Amino acid sequence: MTKSKNKKTRVLILGIGNVLMGDEGIGVHVVKALEKAVLPDDVEVLDGGTGSFLLLEPMQKAGRVILVDATIDGAEAGSVSRLQPRFSTDYPKTLTAHDIGLKDLLDAFYLLGEPPEVTLFAVSIPPLQDMETELSSELRPVVPKVAGLVLDEVMAA
Amino acid sequence: MTRVVVDPITRIEGHLRVEAVIEGGKITDAYSSGTMVRGIEKILKGRDPRDAWAFTERVCGVCTTVHALASVRAVEDAIDITVPKNAELVRNIMFCTQFVQDHVVHFYHLHALDWVDVVSALSADPEETSRIAKTLSNWPKTSSGYFSDLQKRLKTFVESGQLGIFANGYWGHPAYKLPKEINLIGVAHYLEALEWQKEIVKIHAIFGGKNPHPNYLVGGVPCSFNLEEVNAINTEKLNLVGRLIKDAMAFVEQVYIPDLMAIAGFYKDWAAIGGGLKNYLCYGDLPTKGYEFPDHFKFPRGAILDRDLTKVYDVNGRDENEIKEYIAHSWYKYADGDQTGLHPWKGETEFNFTGPKPPFEQLNVESKYSWLKTPRWKDNPMEVGPLARLLVGYAKDNKEIKEVVDEALTKLEVPVAALFSTLGRTAARGLETRLIVRWLKEFYDELIGNLKTGEMSTFTREKWEPETWPAECEGVGLSEAPRGALAHWIRIKDRKIENYQMVVPSTWNASPRDGKGQRSAYEESLIDTPVARENEPLEIIRTIHSFDPCLACAVHLYDPDGKTLHQVTVN
Repeated sequence: MTKSKNKKTRVLILGIGNVLMGDEGIGVHVVKALEKAVLPDDVEVLDGGTGSFLLLEPMQKAGRVILVDATIDGAEAGSVSRLQPRFSTDYPKTLTAHDIGLKDLLDAFYLLGEPPEVTLFAVSIPPLQDMETELSSELRPVVPKVAGLVLDEVMAA
Repeated sequence: MTRVVVDPITRIEGHLRVEAVIEGGKITDAYSSGTMVRGIEKILKGRDPRDAWAFTERVCGVCTTVHALASVRAVEDAIDITVPKNAELVRNIMFCTQFVQDHVVHFYHLHALDWVDVVSALSADPEETSRIAKTLSNWPKTSSGYFSDLQKRLKTFVESGQLGIFANGYWGHPAYKLPKEINLIGVAHYLEALEWQKEIVKIHAIFGGKNPHPNYLVGGVPCSFNLEEVNAINTEKLNLVGRLIKDAMAFVEQVYIPDLMAIAGFYKDWAAIGGGLKNYLCYGDLPTKGYEFPDHFKFPRGAILDRDLTKVYDVNGRDENEIKEYIAHSWYKYADGDQTGLHPWKGETEFNFTGPKPPFEQLNVESKYSWLKTPRWKDNPMEVGPLARLLVGYAKDNKEIKEVVDEALTKLEVPVAALFSTLGRTAARGLETRLIVRWLKEFYDELIGNLKTGEMSTFTREKWEPETWPAECEGVGLSEAPRGALAHWIRIKDRKIENYQMVVPSTWNASPRDGKGQRSAYEESLIDTPVARENEPLEIIRTIHSFDPCLACAVHLYDPDGKTLHQVTVN
């Protein structure tokens, strides 16, 4: 689960998505790629799946979270936006598959009084996905690109 | 006559739409629709059966472990594997952990605000709240200072309007009946439960290697025990599990149950509303002498018809005449015609969407109107879930189950018949949590006992290699998920998955009516429910939430509009 079991996690790289739904799983594919990278000891990489409330603990513990998720916002497939949302209402409405769980989770941080600082890389995907475990040919090349953006963010953090 | 549409009705994963017809302030008919498609069966075909659990576990972020369990059981049933005792204990510990966490989260975070008015809590008197809280339980956090600080924080949240949880309620609705002080206690425990649930799930990470999607294994569990070894599951980690279980027992006994009983006391009218179907089905779970011996499960297996608690019918998942799925009102087609019912071993997953294009005002309920198939047991619609589990146990005279149920009935001064209701369903969830957290401790103690005698085995390699399997075989993994009876059916041919069908709890409860017009559990439970305000159908939400709806595994996970909470349209 963690790269650094005994040290305090400073940054959590969290990929969200459902790998059974093709491009919707892009966040998980990005963290799978990053699991192979050499990262500082206090950086943790987590495949969050669609884990909703179960992600509260690792996110809260980190203080700084880099989130990668898919969005269906009508933009060209594979475009990436970098957002720094504070409240659940600041997140794209179409952050999908698990958006209600994730937004409830983000509200929960405020209720508990310890909101982590979140940077969100939202990757645009086409609407209407078939059940499929692979990424589409449009999205496959985006994985190293987003992984690179995440690494830059980690270095700057 | 008006038609009220609530879409989506779930607070978490999944997509459920309910259309209710209201006449003279009461619901006279209702339609439940899963609005998104599922197709996991298609992904699994042709794969190695030993990998299936990892895919099925991904259908949901909430109850991941139960799908993995049903999957490995289905494969073990097909190729005839009996897992070692320690593996059974670890699986039971994972199961109990999942239930305790999920039920507490459901009660406080997905259901409590249907009964607790957050805005009313703002005007509670902290002194009085503290006095009442002390009469409810021995829980330490009951000072007036604690409640007064909490009230200040709560005020900020409500005023900011930025927190969906508190912004989207029907606050001030006449169906809210709790005193202000109980409302404040409810909100306090909403927050405490949020903190607590983070701890208990650590048990999954310890035995399953990781969370939110822990590891499972056909033939056992992927745990390596070595009491001295740093990288294994050692004494230190097992002690942590012991502490987490102790804390969970305290939380359930001192917070969840007292709150449940206090709230229930003010809503006894709901013991006569929302009963719905009269048939209950439970596959049973928590084996104590192996999966092949359901008579020794903590939750007994069986079916009840027509609320007759003097008779419990046997249930056989392998009998092709017992469980069948129909699609008369579902967006699928069967090769032999849409009126046919298919046992899951012969199940087909061929989509046939004939519904209206969104956005639309209402579904064409005369025809197909849901992505959920309609499962039936011997052609009867059945309710599944905590209430079904407790009723089957109660009717079978199970000592532990009878004891907690009778104690609660006595305390609330209501008869057994009160269980057949919205309140009964919500209470059953709490009552079984009391039992499950005790059983969690029992299984843990037994595991520790085994390990101390040097019994470390967690996996049987005997049938691991596909060469040892028959050329063709079939299995069923019967289990219970927090929301009810869950089963996976598998057919294996030439060592690959030939067919895989999951019939999940929300398919039983939330499915559309069958070809004979018999409603399923959600639809039936809404009949005769009073609705005070058509544009704020709190009563519909209460009853549907009492089932703990979660359609992620019952349907596809995708929502093109990214809608947040109950959108209500009145036509």
